[in-house]
Parts: sequence; C-alpha cells; structure tokens
Amino acid sequence: MTAVIEARALGKTFGSGRRAVHAVQGVDLSVAAGEALGIVGESGCGKTTTARMLLRLEEPTAGQVIFDGLDITHLRSRALLPFRARAQLVFQNPFDALNPRFTIRRTLAEPLRNFGIPEAEHAARIDAVMARVRLTPAAAWLDRFPHELSGGQLQRVVLARALIPGPTLIVADEPVSMLDVSVRAGILNLLRAARDELGLAAIYISHDLALIRYVCERTVVMYLGRIVEEGPTAALIAKPRHPYTAALVAAVPVPRVDQDRAALPIKGSLSDTPTGGPGCAFRDRCLHAFARCETETPALRVAGDSRRVACHLDM
Amino acid sequence: MSLLSVENLQVHYRTGAGTVRAVDGATLSVEAGSILGLVGESGCGKSTLGRAVMGVLPDSGRIAGGRVIFEGADLVAMTEAQQRAVRWRRLSFIPQTAMNALDPVQRLRAQMLEVLIERGGLNRATAQTRAEELFRMVGLDPVRLSDYPHQFSGGMRQRASIALALALNPAMVIADEPVTALDVIVQRQVLDVIRELQSRLGLAMILVTHDMAVVAYACDRVAVMYAGIVVEAGAVREVLERPLHPYTMGLTHAFPDVHGETGELVPIDGSPPSLLAPPPGCRFAPRCPFAVARCHTDVPPAVTSGDHMVACWRADEAPALRDLAAKTATWAAMDTP
Repeated sequence: MTAVIEARALGKTFGSGRRAVHAVQGVDLSVAAGEALGIVGESGCGKTTTARMLLRLEEPTAGQVIFDGLDITHLRSRALLPFRARAQLVFQNPFDALNPRFTIRRTLAEPLRNFGIPEAEHAARIDAVMARVRLTPAAAWLDRFPHELSGGQLQRVVLARALIPGPTLIVADEPVSMLDVSVRAGILNLLRAARDELGLAAIYISHDLALIRYVCERTVVMYLGRIVEEGPTAALIAKPRHPYTAALVAAVPVPRVDQDRAALPIKGSLSDTPTGGPGCAFRDRCLHAFARCETETPALRVAGDSRRVACHLDM
Repeated sequence: MSLLSVENLQVHYRTGAGTVRAVDGATLSVEAGSILGLVGESGCGKSTLGRAVMGVLPDSGRIAGGRVIFEGADLVAMTEAQQRAVRWRRLSFIPQTAMNALDPVQRLRAQMLEVLIERGGLNRATAQTRAEELFRMVGLDPVRLSDYPHQFSGGMRQRASIALALALNPAMVIADEPVTALDVIVQRQVLDVIRELQSRLGLAMILVTHDMAVVAYACDRVAVMYAGIVVEAGAVREVLERPLHPYTMGLTHAFPDVHGETGELVPIDGSPPSLLAPPPGCRFAPRCPFAVARCHTDVPPAVTSGDHMVACWRADEAPALRDLAAKTATWAAMDTP
C-alpha cells in the first residue's frame, strides 16, 4: 500500500538556544488511501503542530513531508496549490469556521472557484456533497446563512466544504469537541462513511481515545513532542506497550457504573518533566522507570504485530 | 428530608428577542453526603439551575418562580442578608474555569486568607493553618500557596478552586463542569479528589456536566435536563441501565465506549427547541422517534416509581422502546430542514 502522506523525522522547534522549545521531534508516520490514523495525546504533546506541518500550515524546522511520493516540505505558494486541493482540513469549531455573511451555497462554491473548477460543474458538485453530508434536499439548505443552522448542521457544512475540492487526504483536529453529545455521533458516522466511500486517507487528532477508536484503525500516541507508541487502535487499547499509553487508556471515562476506579498508573503532572539532556521524557511520571531511563532516550522501535514503542521496558 | 430540594424552579433571562425561559419548572433533590450529576446538552438549563441555586446568575437572569429549599429554608424567599449567611458558608460553588474563581493578580495565600478571615471570621494564624490544610486536602503542596494562579497548570488551578470552595466547611458544593476543560488524565485526577473529599467530609454535591461517563464515574444519583426541565432522575445505575425517557435512551447510545462495541453510534438528530417560545406538549417530542399525537399537545407529568422519576407519556413501554432506541434506523430521518 503506498502512502498518501508521510512524515519523515519531522520536527518543530520554537525559539533557539537555551530557550528553544522542541514542540515536535523525530515524528515518522504514514497514512495510506482508505486508512484512518489517530493521533492522541494531551494538550501540549505536539499533535496539533504535527497535523499543521503535514498540511503545510506550519513550517517544519526538521524532516520532510511527502505527499503522493512528492517531497512538498519546501514547496512555495503557487506550487502548493494542487496539494491544497487534495489535502483538506476539517475545522474544529463550526461556529467560527464559516463566514457568517456567506450563504451555504457560496461557502461551498468558494473553494471550487479557488481551485479553478469550471463554473458549469459547481451546481452538480454542490448537490453531490450536500447529499454526502446528509443535508437533503440541498435546495432547502443552500440559501441559508450559518446562524440559521444548529451546531451539528454547521459541522456538516464544514465537512462538505472540506470534501468539495475532491481531496485524497482529510485532517480533522478534534472534529466534534465543540458539539453536543447527541449530535457528535452523526458527524463521526459521516466521517467514517466519507472515508470508506471515497477511499480517503484520514488523520484524526484528539485527546479522546474512545472517539479515536471509533474512527481509526491505527493510532499513534504522542507525549511531549514525540511518538511514544503506535499500533492498531484496538490492540493498543487492549494491551498498551508504553506506560503513558496505559495511563491514558485507564483515564478515559466510560459510561458504565461498574468500572475500575483504581488510581491511575502515573504520577506527578506534565510539569514534572526533566529539561534537556538524555533520558526518557516520561521517566519522572513513570511507575516503572529504572537507571537506564535516566541516561538513554528510548528510540521508537518495532515491537511485533505492527506495533512501535519508545520504551526500554518490554511491557 | 433532603438537604436541597429545588421545586418547580423558573429562571428567566431578558434578551433583545424576548424572555428566555432557561429553566422552566425544574424539580430535583439532593441528599446529604451524596453527589447528584446534573446532565444535559448546552442550553438545557443545567448551568443556569446551578447558578440560580447558588445565587450567582448574570444580571439579565432572575428567578421567576419556584422554591429552593436548602437545610429547611427557602433561599428564594430570603432577604439578601439571610442569603449571604448561607451562600459560600453552607453552600459553595466551583466554576467551570478555575480562572473565574481565582484572582490572577493575587497570590493564592492572600485569596485563601481573604475567604477564611473575612467570610469565615477566623484569626490570621488559624486561617494560615487552615489554608495549608485545605491545600494538602486537595493534593497541593502548601508551599505553592505563595504562587500566583498563572504559575499553576489547569489541573492545579482546579484543585485550588476546590480548596477555596471548601474553605468554610460547606454542607454542599455546586460544581459547574469542573473537569470539562481538562485533559483526560488531569480530569480523572480531579474527579478522584472530588470523590475522596465527598466521602471523607460527607459533602453533598451537584456536579453539572454534559458527560454521562463523568456521571457514571463519580455520581450517586443523576438528573437529566432537557430544554429547561428535569425529564428523568434516579440512581445512576438505574438511569444508565434502565432509562425510561427516550432522550436518556438516546444519550446512552450516542457516544463511543473505549472498551465496548465499535458498532454504529446512534445520533439524536435535530436540536433542542428555542426557549423563547417552547413547543407545547413534551419538549423532546419534535426529536423523539416514539412521539404520538398526545406528546405534541400535552405536557407529560413527572411520575415517580420508587426512586426513579420520569416525565414521558410512554414510560410504561420503556423496556420495548429501549430495544428500538438502540437502532440507528429508529432515529434516522428526524433531521428535516
């Protein structure tokens, strides 16, 4: 399977010298057509910066972004235009992602115009994408303004706008976090259907492993800018190989009365992070840390059954 | 007698478009030493109800009717001076964003001492000891009393705002989405602090949340609100495992379980009604796949059997409706323009 998008040793450092902040370091990942990859981690883990670099919305300071076999890391604005049509971002907050003065029709026509799609094709494309996001009959919605729609309906329009240029990759950063629980399921189902029916590559960014499990077959877990574990989502949740993943899985709230309420297998807080020097960044929060974790940064190594893990232990 | 009973509470907001009936006849009760989860989606009135009980409504809001009986006295009928003697002392509040409870330009010690000395009447030395004890109680190092709020992480700030809410030994605390803005690991740690304090201090709580999983983890009882009304209430296990209201049934199938099935989630299409002019009859009827003619015209009364309250005309058929509610097809095609 060839990758639609690939990151090779991708990194982002803000500032320089002693004040440098390594937001993302050495991220390797790839996503094939028809595949959905989840990136999970807590705020500040670098998941959003990684996604923005993959979309060339943020300049990497290290590594490469390969799209359809082409190195796009250093392409400039005009040369990037074909990529922009084929790699689309689904915005997080539907309430401010849409221009309030544009009707839904104009919102959807705008990207078609920007990417040079002939005017004659617009109406058919708009109808097709409205059907895909289940806003039918399209005619009943197209002349409305965003304030006339509910949050769930707006998020369908946001998804329609991302799909209308005909992307091969969509990236969604917390696609339902701003929506009410009752309408989240509808959006997640649409995302799954669009990916399956169009054979898209998809990347979902979220702090919510339950949501990621619902939409992604494969997941990478990030901690402080690095990938600490990767694997098939179900296997990674059932049997985490990295101590941080284990804590993250145990912390996910489950809607059942009978559940494990034991203390989480993690100590301290995100601020308990050794600064600089070698060693594992998670060691001060890890219940299993030993001498080697102080001196040697664990590399992301293959750990059987399409898993990768960056830990000196073999959990 | 319950520690708190909210009876037929009405809270109205004045807006340019008219009067919004944000809470429109809500009834619930909280027993001493137990945690009630108050759940519902945005705009259902859950935060407004919490704020009305606490007396911290915004200027545009007012209690337009009903009673709030706390420790045997009606807070709504009290003078402001009488209310001040109860609020913050016997009844306290944790806002969603800890930054709203904390003053960014004062060290935490000064903020704790202010509450303990000015509201609690402690002398300086006793207040100092109590502040340290409160910090330890919520899992913070008392050394950090010398910090400013911005030196704290989100989880630490939320712990500090819990310490502040507990300063005067209240019998009850209302927490408005206390973990919503936090990452999962921190969220779980803060919920553990809340559970531990509740059992150790015998505290009663209303935990306002949109998340059924938070209710399942931390609460004893739950009240489900929809469009300004409590539509179902009871013990958490009872409501989660044997819901009687179609809205609650919908909610239990609407989000993924990290360890459960990965079958299709079931959305509740449509959106809650405008509270400027709520529909007659049951407010959930326009989104309800089980609505019959009467649901659109007559308001269903609240019926209690044992400890389980529901306001639905078809509650008797709940076991059969629960099976149907688990299927996507049941809820499909409700979203019309």
